[in-house]
Amino acid sequence: MSVSFSERVTVAPDVLFRLVGDEAVLLNLKSELYLGLDPVGTRMWTVLNEASSVQAAYDVLLQEYDVEPNRLRQDLDELLGQLLEQGLIEVGPAEVSGGEQRLT
Amino acid sequence: MGKTALLDFEAQSYFGEARGTAPTYRYGIYGIALWSEIPLPLPQPPDGALTEIHLRTASADWFSRVLRGVETQETRSSWYRFARLGDRASYVRWEGIGEFLVSADGKGIVCRQFSDAGSESFQVYLLGQAISFALVKQGFEPLHATTVVVEGEAVAFLGNDGFGKSSLAACFLAAGHRILTDDLLILRDMPAGILAYPGVARIKLFPHMARRFLREATTGVPMNPFSRKMILPLSREHACATPVPLRAIYALGSPRQVFREKGIRIEPLSPREAFFEVVKNTFNRRVVDGERLERQFIETGRLVDTALFRKLTYPRVLDSLPAVREAILSDLGRDFEQERVAV
Repeated sequence: MSVSFSERVTVAPDVLFRLVGDEAVLLNLKSELYLGLDPVGTRMWTVLNEASSVQAAYDVLLQEYDVEPNRLRQDLDELLGQLLEQGLIEVGPAEVSGGEQRLT
Repeated sequence: MGKTALLDFEAQSYFGEARGTAPTYRYGIYGIALWSEIPLPLPQPPDGALTEIHLRTASADWFSRVLRGVETQETRSSWYRFARLGDRASYVRWEGIGEFLVSADGKGIVCRQFSDAGSESFQVYLLGQAISFALVKQGFEPLHATTVVVEGEAVAFLGNDGFGKSSLAACFLAAGHRILTDDLLILRDMPAGILAYPGVARIKLFPHMARRFLREATTGVPMNPFSRKMILPLSREHACATPVPLRAIYALGSPRQVFREKGIRIEPLSPREAFFEVVKNTFNRRVVDGERLERQFIETGRLVDTALFRKLTYPRVLDSLPAVREAILSDLGRDFEQERVAV
């Protein structure tokens, strides 16, 4: 299962998120499964939830990290796959208003 | 028939259905006040107890009636059974030991000691596993940890059964330190810092460990019909009965992951690693409703933000334990301030 870069991801209902230092932990209250994110994964999560689309998140991350574009794309794909599999995110159409929109 | 039994149960008071005698004993354990119908080897309740639990006994007939139509879950070993009743009360039972019903609000425990069980064994399960249901239902988060007191501060060892927590603690006893609690640890975040609360004044050890590290006569009773582990009471000299500030938490590595040639290692844990060590080592894994999981998530995050965590791995060789103890004491002597995680 993969997420298209033209789509947008949001936090699924019943998911708890907490920063612990520069890392993060998530809990899906329905499945009772936990996921831990290292500092890079934590940053990816934050950017994904703030961006209007996965593509927009990718663009932001590419500016922040000294990484080959294809490698970043693979890592992002892998993280998104894991988040989706564990029911931690929902996928929907990208925001069309332009610019970033923060989740409330 | 099952629904009728549950409705009857919900309408009844635990206390009214017991033997009819009011609890006559008052004790203190884990910082709480325990009102008990039966005598227990516990001290007086503390001033300003964190909460209270009422303990009653009931007959086999009473339990049969309450559990009519209730399906119990059993573990692979089948000596432990568990059920959650319709009103969210919890039932647990150990063959050869006893059975317990914990009220939905955690304020009451009704118990029955089986005729083939010794009092000491029964009390281990009453004051450990059974009471953990009451504690969790009242909003506490007990940890599966054995804790010693070093220079007036608590040093906790997190780990699953068989990881060597009690053996390591016995080695500390041999050096003149005291046990705060063996197996179940309650921590509370207070204005002055995190406090660790005392448990039962006893330790559970295999006979060869007891002979090696406990100087006085090691007369104990078996913990349960399936284990050679002994329940050994501790004197006031060896058991701390008052809450003390928490100094550090050491998460013990699994014995299977350690090879003799790697020696003793003490390493810092990242906040994320510490978080999962705490969750893995919760004392009660049966109460898993959303409310409990959410509270546990928040409490664990707070604990990880403020407490000091270490990963401890060492070869499970009896003669190495004094060296492990000295490594921990040396580690405790370091200045941890620079390692505190910024919130």
